Amino acid sequence: MIGTGTALVVDDSAVNRLILVKLLEGLGLKVIQAENGALALELLAAEAGGVDVVLLDVLMPELDGYQTLAAMKADDATRHIPVLIVSGVEELDSVVRCIELGATDYLPKPINASILAARINASLAAKRLHDVEQESFERQAALNRTIQRQKEELSRFLSPQVAALVSSADGEQLLAGHRREITVAFCDLRGFTAFAERADPEELMTLLSQYHHMMGTAITEHGGTLEHFAGDGVMVFFNDPIPQDDHVERAVRMAIAMREHFDDLAAAWRQQGYELGFGVGIAVGHATLGRIGYDGRHDYGAIGNVTILASRLSSQAAAGQILLSPHAQALLQELIESEPVGELTLKGLTQPVLASNVVAMR
Amino acid sequence: MPDADAPTIDEEVLAEMMAATGDDIGFVGELLDTYLADTPAQLDAMAAAVDADDAAALVRPAHTVKSSSASMGAMRLSQLARDLEMAGRSGALGPGDRVSMNAARSEWPPAVEALKAWIERASDT
Repeated sequence: MIGTGTALVVDDSAVNRLILVKLLEGLGLKVIQAENGALALELLAAEAGGVDVVLLDVLMPELDGYQTLAAMKADDATRHIPVLIVSGVEELDSVVRCIELGATDYLPKPINASILAARINASLAAKRLHDVEQESFERQAALNRTIQRQKEELSRFLSPQVAALVSSADGEQLLAGHRREITVAFCDLRGFTAFAERADPEELMTLLSQYHHMMGTAITEHGGTLEHFAGDGVMVFFNDPIPQDDHVERAVRMAIAMREHFDDLAAAWRQQGYELGFGVGIAVGHATLGRIGYDGRHDYGAIGNVTILASRLSSQAAAGQILLSPHAQALLQELIESEPVGELTLKGLTQPVLASNVVAMR
Repeated sequence: MPDADAPTIDEEVLAEMMAATGDDIGFVGELLDTYLADTPAQLDAMAAAVDADDAAALVRPAHTVKSSSASMGAMRLSQLARDLEMAGRSGALGPGDRVSMNAARSEWPPAVEALKAWIERASDT
């Protein structure tokens, strides 16, 4: 079946053009024609994607078949259009050269109607396949752009690791819920409630924004997964969704970095009359992680005693303290300098906890 | 040298052309008119190239006459033009090429007559 399509006939001989046009129209094609290569390239530029096959004579004035073919193959807009070289049988050398230059096939002169139909059919089928592939490629590219945009948008709302998880192959499985050992760091401010009662809303938002910016930078630098910001409270976990062999150490390094940066912020706030302190609680243990929430609004969260322990340690931390759970302390004792702070009785926990404060990395 | 047995007009070529284009005598008539209108200038260009001993300038008009004449069934003229095209491609023209050129010129009027006669007959049937 030949059906629809547009052929461009390029031949300097009016007789040959007439014959080709007549035969191609007989096959149901729309035909445009040019008497040399230069005019053919102009038509191709004007018709853009409209030409489905080119029948090209070799010997022509202005721009011959070789030059025309080379120009078509050098241009992204015309490279894919099948080109049939129309040539006498004694010119096989030039046919070979044209095929090396990228011509699809050749048509022997004088033109035989059956061979013409067969070659045109094959060329149009190849062109249609190319067009379908091109369309599919463009659809895929548009889809990829959309996904990329969604990822970027998501990463403004979610931690980057969770945003990446949403669009990854095994994301669904991880989101559905899994159990893993994690390190949780819970941070909050001392004196924040009193400050929030006194400060005007603009001051409050400015200060929180400075604080969140500092915290966010440290979280990203250390590869933490931000579970949430809740006013001055920030919960970060490590080793999920991206596994991290050194998750406990990362959490402590992050907390130390935050404590240092916080000192700069606190000094500036002190000049404005606000006295705020920074405390962190860090615990290690197993948690269930995944999508938590209801249809319409989910968070990626961690649930387990480890999160409660980190939160309670944070509540107990004095300004400037980074309190470690006993397990976290045991895992890091080679790496850090710490001081015991004694047994703490934590809300909701039956046994007192022997906590220690991180002084510095060794 | 051209094949002495080649006919001035190979009527089979014209019959095939008719069949391939849906027995459209109007189209074949148009084709003939175009051939008659274009060829004299091509022959002149060939003769000028031979006279000037310009082998490169001979190739293209000879090529055109070769292929359009073959399409119209004017096989003797097509073969003479083919020889001249080859001579042009060889880069050097010789006395034999002047002979071929004169033969091509002489072949033109009988070819025109034979084609006109054929189309008249074909139009009548």
